[in-house]
Amino acid sequence: MDRTSIKKWFKAPGKMGQKYSLWAVYFCTGCGIIEIPPVITSRWDAERFGVIPVATPRQANLFLITGYVSLKTLKAIIRTYEQMPEPKYTVGFGSCPINGGMYWDSYNTIKHLDKYIPVDGWIAGCMPRPEAIFIAVTHLWTMIDKGMAKGYIKYRENYKYYRQNQEKLFGRLEWPPLYPIDDNEKVRS
Amino acid sequence: MNRLKEEIISSFKGAKVSICEDNRLAILARKEDVFSILNFLKDKGYDHLELISCVDWINEKEFELVYILTPYSEKEMKEHIILKTRISREKPEFKTIIPVFENAKPYEREIHELFGINFEGHPRLTHLFLERDYKIPPFRKDFNTREYVKEFFEKIPFVEDKNENGKRA
Repeated sequence: MDRTSIKKWFKAPGKMGQKYSLWAVYFCTGCGIIEIPPVITSRWDAERFGVIPVATPRQANLFLITGYVSLKTLKAIIRTYEQMPEPKYTVGFGSCPINGGMYWDSYNTIKHLDKYIPVDGWIAGCMPRPEAIFIAVTHLWTMIDKGMAKGYIKYRENYKYYRQNQEKLFGRLEWPPLYPIDDNEKVRS
Repeated sequence: MNRLKEEIISSFKGAKVSICEDNRLAILARKEDVFSILNFLKDKGYDHLELISCVDWINEKEFELVYILTPYSEKEMKEHIILKTRISREKPEFKTIIPVFENAKPYEREIHELFGINFEGHPRLTHLFLERDYKIPPFRKDFNTREYVKEFFEKIPFVEDKNENGKRA
């Protein structure tokens, strides 16, 4: 740790804590997950950056969507995302979550992930190199510092619209809404 | 292989048999004969159903069901029997082969959801992979994926972040 960051630690200790302990939920989506084992093991040791994979979403605050998202996976992604404690950050990894990638005309793969859950940042490429994950992590640090990684707040405030989009895909959802969707109830912020 | 070919030709009249490779035998059978041929081959030692596949011949207005069998018990025999049959496209119905090969269950479910073929007597014809109902089953040739994407995925709106004044943040 260099001396310049000591000031930051005193100024916003919470933010600094969130920055350096990004725990990623070990959720395998599509082909991009093949980049994760080298990232977390000794060659590109992700723990240098404070990123470690954890088993359950209840312990995690970073969600890497690694690769194409089929409808069935999206259901699991939404449920996982809603279980994560706040603050939580989502990063779309690879070109498929961005705009469909090579599955742009597939009947069972969603094209834009940010229509259904909020995404804080994207890593473009097919496949991105493991180094790209670290670039994304350092970008995320800057965003957390500046208060720009507000995906979870956006999800809370616009939950009604996200839920509408999700219901367009699946019909009726099996789980109750996470936040109140009725306009009369006040959304807690 | 040659002996088996002769036997099939002599006992099933409508079947066309050809040896496509050294250890591959292709049979094109009438759909009434499928059960008896499968039973016949099972007794001969071809007791493992590898997969069931389906081909959509849209110009001929037919579906082709492909059953691939292989012997499971004897290691020396690396032979594959490809049994094909045609069913009509207007009324896609066929009998389930679960009484003969029980592992046909998931294959028939898959073909049911992707091609819309109804297997009579199947205990559970529900979705296997897909989450939605499609008007035309998606693996048929007349299913237009690009149009479907335009009609469905593109029409879902982006969620725009609005602050209190209603302006985009």
